[in-house]
Amino acid sequence: MDRGVRLRNLVVFGCAGWVLTLGTASTTAAPLGGGGREKTSAAPGHVGADTLYAGARMPAADYWVFVANESSDLVSLVRFGPDGATVEDDIPVGIMPADLDGAHGVRVSPDGRRVFVSLAHGTPFGKLWSYDTADRELADSVSVGLFPATIAFTPDGGMAFVVNFNLHGNLVPSSVSAIFVPEMTEMARIETCIKPHGSRVNHAGTRHYSVCVGDDYLIEISVDRLEVSRAVKLTPGSERVLARPGEASTGSGGGPVCGPTWATPSFDDAHVYVACNKHGEVLELDAEDLTVKRRFQTGKGPYNLDVTSDGRLLLATNKGAQSVSIFDLVTGEEVARVPTTQPITHGVVVSADDRYAFVSNEAIGATRGTVDVIDLDSLQLVASTEVHYQPGGIDIWKSEPAR
Amino acid sequence: MRILSVTLLAFVLAACASSTTGSAPTGAPDPAVSQPASDEQAAGDDQAASTETDADQPPQDRNPHITGDMAASARVTDIQLSPSPIVLTRGETILVEGHLTDADGNQVRGARWGIGAGGPVEIESIKDSIPDSYLFRGVSPGSTEIYVVLPKPTEQGVEWNRIASFDVIVNDWPVARIDVDEPAFGTYAGSVFGLKARAITTRETEHATAKVLWSSSNPEIVSVTPDGIATFRTAGQAVLTASAEGFDGSLSVDVKPNPVRSVHLEADASEVRTGDVVHLSPTVSGSGNRPLNDVNVSYSISAVDGPADGAEVFGDGTFVANSPGAYRVIMTAGGQSATAVVEAAPREAHRVSQLVGRGAVSHVTTSDLWVFQGQDGRDYAYTGTHAQGGGERMYAWDVTDASSPVLTDSVVVDARVVNDVKVNADASWAMITREGASSRRNGIIVLDLADPAHPTIIAELTDSLTAGIHNVWINGDVVYAVNDGTSAMHIIEMVDPANPRHIGRWEVRPGDQNKSLHDVWAENGLAYLSYWDDGLIILDVGDGIKGGTPRKPKFVSQYQYRTYQPEEFGNTHTAYRYGDYVFTGDEIFGCGDCVNGPRGYIHVVDVSDIENPKQVARYEVPEAGAHNIWVEDGLLYIAYYQGGLRVVDVSGELRGDLYKQGREVAWFQSAGEEGEAIVPNAPLAWGPQPHKGNVFMSDMNSGLWVIQVEPPERPLVP
Repeated sequence: MDRGVRLRNLVVFGCAGWVLTLGTASTTAAPLGGGGREKTSAAPGHVGADTLYAGARMPAADYWVFVANESSDLVSLVRFGPDGATVEDDIPVGIMPADLDGAHGVRVSPDGRRVFVSLAHGTPFGKLWSYDTADRELADSVSVGLFPATIAFTPDGGMAFVVNFNLHGNLVPSSVSAIFVPEMTEMARIETCIKPHGSRVNHAGTRHYSVCVGDDYLIEISVDRLEVSRAVKLTPGSERVLARPGEASTGSGGGPVCGPTWATPSFDDAHVYVACNKHGEVLELDAEDLTVKRRFQTGKGPYNLDVTSDGRLLLATNKGAQSVSIFDLVTGEEVARVPTTQPITHGVVVSADDRYAFVSNEAIGATRGTVDVIDLDSLQLVASTEVHYQPGGIDIWKSEPAR
Repeated sequence: MRILSVTLLAFVLAACASSTTGSAPTGAPDPAVSQPASDEQAAGDDQAASTETDADQPPQDRNPHITGDMAASARVTDIQLSPSPIVLTRGETILVEGHLTDADGNQVRGARWGIGAGGPVEIESIKDSIPDSYLFRGVSPGSTEIYVVLPKPTEQGVEWNRIASFDVIVNDWPVARIDVDEPAFGTYAGSVFGLKARAITTRETEHATAKVLWSSSNPEIVSVTPDGIATFRTAGQAVLTASAEGFDGSLSVDVKPNPVRSVHLEADASEVRTGDVVHLSPTVSGSGNRPLNDVNVSYSISAVDGPADGAEVFGDGTFVANSPGAYRVIMTAGGQSATAVVEAAPREAHRVSQLVGRGAVSHVTTSDLWVFQGQDGRDYAYTGTHAQGGGERMYAWDVTDASSPVLTDSVVVDARVVNDVKVNADASWAMITREGASSRRNGIIVLDLADPAHPTIIAELTDSLTAGIHNVWINGDVVYAVNDGTSAMHIIEMVDPANPRHIGRWEVRPGDQNKSLHDVWAENGLAYLSYWDDGLIILDVGDGIKGGTPRKPKFVSQYQYRTYQPEEFGNTHTAYRYGDYVFTGDEIFGCGDCVNGPRGYIHVVDVSDIENPKQVARYEVPEAGAHNIWVEDGLLYIAYYQGGLRVVDVSGELRGDLYKQGREVAWFQSAGEEGEAIVPNAPLAWGPQPHKGNVFMSDMNSGLWVIQVEPPERPLVP
């Protein structure tokens, strides 16, 4: 049982489901303002407060979510069901207890049998580890590049792509590692650009999209050829397609930058969405010619993205604004901006049935992070649970009848 | 060019044990049914049509899952490689063509070849110009396995299967010659010693794998083992030949009659304690007592009264006993022997250790510490905090009364690990490190110590230090900071502590990212960098030996070592200079023997010749792993993780295995009780520091400990 300081949340309700969360060291905290209730779980691995919200429509099923706690070297397994969200298990990851191994990205294989975790810090190169989802035992690992972060799979799960973010080193082009999963063998380390991050493979399994935070690129990798097929320089207002990063690039010259942090394809692979973290917008690009079709204004610092499988909604975490922006992709309107329970809002993933979105919030310092659950019908926060320190990568394992 | 058919591993369309199964849904997902993540949605409807694509068509980029090549892979029954086997030379690039065919002999395309990173060969696809062909570049000598992977269509989507694997061998550059060393000793009848030869490549490097084998033209004069151990039997002439890869090197030997008439052995001490180094002085004389200096002398030990393996003797004529007893040291030269007897008494180094005081930290893990006398005349200990529990602060303890540390204050920063704490020489300012900042801009924090019980933040520096800073060392008015991201030692000017300034950095192998710096310690103009696999690196930071200054270090020397097989190098984690020695420690997690936690030990490196450091001794607790160290007044203090505090007598000359020699003076298990430790009853000792007669130590699981090691009954005799 964790004996750390229990940091709880004071949850203050505002209008239209807005919630103000104040970090506090109180050990007797209870939700203020009525309507909320707090329960303490005795579940293994449980670390803190769970919160349900008044009027929340709770699911009949259990949703199971993995989230990587980067500054705890733990991967938490969160269950969200009729009673709310709670941590059911924690997987210790890494081998260096005297150093942070830095569990950053997390992704469940398409068959649901394995959960993959990128361990960012190595000596110097990071690793991709996989665990059996059922018993949470380490299954395999492979060395990749510097500071591996986001993980993406081809639809069959045979190939995994890991962006080597190289966050802390020199500002030099880094790479995307292509891993043949059955053998956990790196088939290629594809050089892209500076600080690659936020990647996904399209549903056809033919294109891998990632971005480069350091020099403003969207990168398209051909899954068949395992090489860069196209790039888009994302200078706001003058985005343009290049054969590869750096080619004919004039840079932003001190002007506005996109600072892209995430790329994900639309439900039908017709578009690609890119979060411009430093420009407060999400771009919608045509997947065929990679031209910008629409711009969605977000809160400060849009960071991670996900799209409902029916193509109805686009969700963007606002890392600098402690909220999630939700866009109607038909009208292009921001239909909700849902405050989250802790700052440094990081990851978002939508359940397979498009009913809920799960959001990780890093928080700051010794304040534990949280996983929030947003009802995608009411567009309101319905539950939250504390996890560990600096939760980032998040993915859904499964849903099943409530136990 | 010979072509070899490669055995197919998983065929044809049989379920591959190592494959994964796709799960693209075909209908609306059921919220109560297990579903994969949303990326797989809406991808299955086109699948049926796609399985009918022509094998010869190029990949259909927009067609979900199945390309023409993928469909064709279902029929692959044979793979042929050209050339085969694949053998290339280091530095060479060759084209390897693959031919995949189905049962009808039709070519199938679309395979991917994969290889583990960092191996002896790199491969590059050139499928745009030559289908299923790769360029192979030999990087380093060795062998590896290449995987051939193909996608296979299924009802549910696409499976990726490994269908074949094959070996690749990279040979070193060709051997150009064999260099043979002159014999190290005189070639006298009756001598036995080793010869040395090396296979030199066309690039003037020593060949990595070529095995040099020796032979003799006249074994009756000189016999030699294949490995080069020569026995000089009788006077005469012979030619010894060292051969490898078809090249020979020769050594003409004129074996002279055995000139040795008498031998004598003296030891500089005959009654010692275990661990004391005894120097042996052999004398070899010829006729007329003429001294002979080029006769090979060998040593052996016979236990007179003690365990058979209770002592060691080294080729340079030093002896050390590990166990009490009487030992006869035998020298042999020119067929004659002499002995010296050394009696070793128990070292009796052990002293009693006892707890003096505690500063329990039970809600967060503790990291490094620094103990000092503040400018107000009182004594303080500052301790950092680690990730478990949220390492966002440094604690300040008043330890003037060491039996009762008083927590006076803490400094909270935006971090999840405050790993290191250091205080400058006059205790006017301190520095703490940050990792895990929410902004991911970490760097260092400077504290003003005008009131050391309540230190205050006066500056932070993140420029060029945004990566986590793991350790720092204060060297006058500069600070050396270990940067997690660059793996370089960054140099910070602290002339004005309120305005720290990044002025440069030093790193091994600039431009090569494959390195990891962990710690730095500087003293008397030399800095000792613990550079993990790169070992111990010594820099001139003002000593002048290489023209270095504190701001512009210069390389002096490097010592790499191997701790455990099969690792090529040890994990050099910490280093501390004391006298002629640098004590370096490993930090090894996840090894085969790490059943109860880390492993690793202390390497004692002789730096009396600073440009040629060499290991002379070791101290290893078999069941634990070393962490931070401190050496003072002939005592080595080691925070030995699960082994607690270990205090070791390192007085005098050091040689051999210090643990076996009974040099351990004291140990203390820093196990915090329930309620007084974040993990109770589990020592995880982090860092020691002696101060005013006590040993202060941080324990990761339980906070601050103050321990007293009782004075010895008699003074240490170096």
